[in-house]
Amino acid sequence: MLTRLARVRRAVGLERRPPASCAIRLVDAGSCNGCEHELVATGGPHHDLQRYGFAITASPRHADVLLVSGPVTTRMLPALLRAYAAMPEPRLVAALGDCPLGGGVDAHPDEVAGPLERVLPVDIRIPGCPPTPGQIAEGLRVGLAALPPERRPW
Amino acid sequence: MAGIERVGADAWRDRVARGNVAGLHAAIGPDGTPEVRAVLAGETPRLLAVAAPGGVVPTLVDLLPAGWDEREAADLYGLRFEGHDPHRALVHHPDDRDLWATPVVGSDVHTVPVGPVHAGVIESGHFLFHVVGERVLHVDARLFHKHRGLERHAEGRSPEDAGRVLSRVCAGCAVTNAVAYAAATEDALGRVPGEGTRRVRTLLIELERMWNHLNDVSQICAGVGLAPGTMLFATLKERVQRVCALLTGHRFMFDAVTLASAPGDPGDAAREAMRAELAAVAADAATAARGLLFDTSLRDRTSGPGRIDADAVRELGVVGPAARAAGVAADSRTDAPRLWYPGFAAVVPPTPAGDVAARLEARWVELEQAAGIVGELLSAPLRPDAPADTGTGTGHGVGIAESPRGRTVCTVEIRGGTVRRVHLRTGSYANWPAVAVAGTRAILPDFPLVNKSFELCYACVDR
Ligand code: SF4
Repeated sequence: MLTRLARVRRAVGLERRPPASCAIRLVDAGSCNGCEHELVATGGPHHDLQRYGFAITASPRHADVLLVSGPVTTRMLPALLRAYAAMPEPRLVAALGDCPLGGGVDAHPDEVAGPLERVLPVDIRIPGCPPTPGQIAEGLRVGLAALPPERRPW
Repeated sequence: MAGIERVGADAWRDRVARGNVAGLHAAIGPDGTPEVRAVLAGETPRLLAVAAPGGVVPTLVDLLPAGWDEREAADLYGLRFEGHDPHRALVHHPDDRDLWATPVVGSDVHTVPVGPVHAGVIESGHFLFHVVGERVLHVDARLFHKHRGLERHAEGRSPEDAGRVLSRVCAGCAVTNAVAYAAATEDALGRVPGEGTRRVRTLLIELERMWNHLNDVSQICAGVGLAPGTMLFATLKERVQRVCALLTGHRFMFDAVTLASAPGDPGDAAREAMRAELAAVAADAATAARGLLFDTSLRDRTSGPGRIDADAVRELGVVGPAARAAGVAADSRTDAPRLWYPGFAAVVPPTPAGDVAARLEARWVELEQAAGIVGELLSAPLRPDAPADTGTGTGHGVGIAESPRGRTVCTVEIRGGTVRRVHLRTGSYANWPAVAVAGTRAILPDFPLVNKSFELCYACVDR
């Protein structure tokens, strides 16, 4: 099994980038699960998000970036704000997909508190429904690089 | 057209008990009184309804697995189900734990609340474990954190616009949900899609099953920390999704199935290339699966935990691979006149023990079956029907399709060209109560693995 996997990785032949260091915590704030599937794929062998120095962390307490998917449902708002409050400063917020940007799903207005920028300051925007794994990797990399140096996590 | 028959409260329980019920939901009847509707599955699905004057109706929970259906109807329509006491909130999230969770008392019992935000990249939902040490006594699943009010938002619109709202219910079941909705709407309007459309819809449903099952195997491997299995099956899922994108322009096939259209033929050469690639994926998956079969650490973790046997399947209303993994050969594809499954027979895995290992095996045999159907359907040009106008009809319709997680039932009521009520009861919805039960047959550290072996959607349930 390992040799088959090694063959896949050789066949993909991704370019390596200079190391950065950035820990990401995802909060699903009401997604359709499409953005989560693509984020997982971004960490898979074909895209290998880790090669840029990104890591998905289990707790917001270790996170540099809060990555948020979904339109921010009223029922997820308290958990989203608690996750943000748990993050150490300096911290960044990134919107994953069209939903947190106000597009994507056409949800009932009574059930959503979003778009995301109504409830948290948004630093990075990754549009798409869902964004492809390539667009997610690029969106994070370029979005972080565009920040002033003192706001970057490395 | 699915007929609706309204019965009196005295006959309701008796009639439902004799029918093959595929879910309940609440709606507003023609004279403005709330009512409860039951879908009766069968060759031509029908609806049975009982009025709830004053919002009260007899419960069915002692007759069939309708606990969640009734809790949802109570929360969203303010109904009270006589005999279903106490009512525990499902969609709504009251602060007081006694209003939604089951009290578990005794010496040394304590609770472990988990979520809604989880450690991995997974959907949001909350579990309250009642445990003694590592032994799980009871699990309360509190979902609906992702409730977006999509049914309510779709109602009052044209069938096309309602379909657009529902198109983002769930990525994992995007095609199945769209097909079930289209079938329900067409049923309500008295239409039957032609063979070409039926074949294309079937092809896309089976493609969806392929990438989902590959994903699920990858996730089960992740659940035991077997990274090579996780990554290898992730690459196979990726290959299928790339074919999906070539065929429909979208990796999850969003908006590929609508009332008006289905993807057309990509041309002989492209279609043949897709067919060959998918056959290669199926062959690679079979080889990789044999590798997993002999992985002792995987066997050790998957054999035994989370057992849902055939009796539990019937009692809990379990559908899909989870039912077949317990030896119950039920599959809505055996009776799908609006799709294209000639000679279809449900398959059960070689060792249908109802545990994590059996649900893993079920994915492999179903993957092979889906690849066979896909290969056949890609061997001939795709010729969906010409787009048709839905018009301004009136009627009730039921659409049923087998999602990667089991039978999905969509019910639509259209009056004068406007969707009055739409309800989506997916395979995940049917199976969530069983995950909680399976969790009590495991130790707490095994729950994530048991949960992954069902790999149910939260988005489909929460809507
Ligand atoms: S942006 Fe699109 S894919 Fe992502 S969660 Fe929203 S509807 Fe789903």
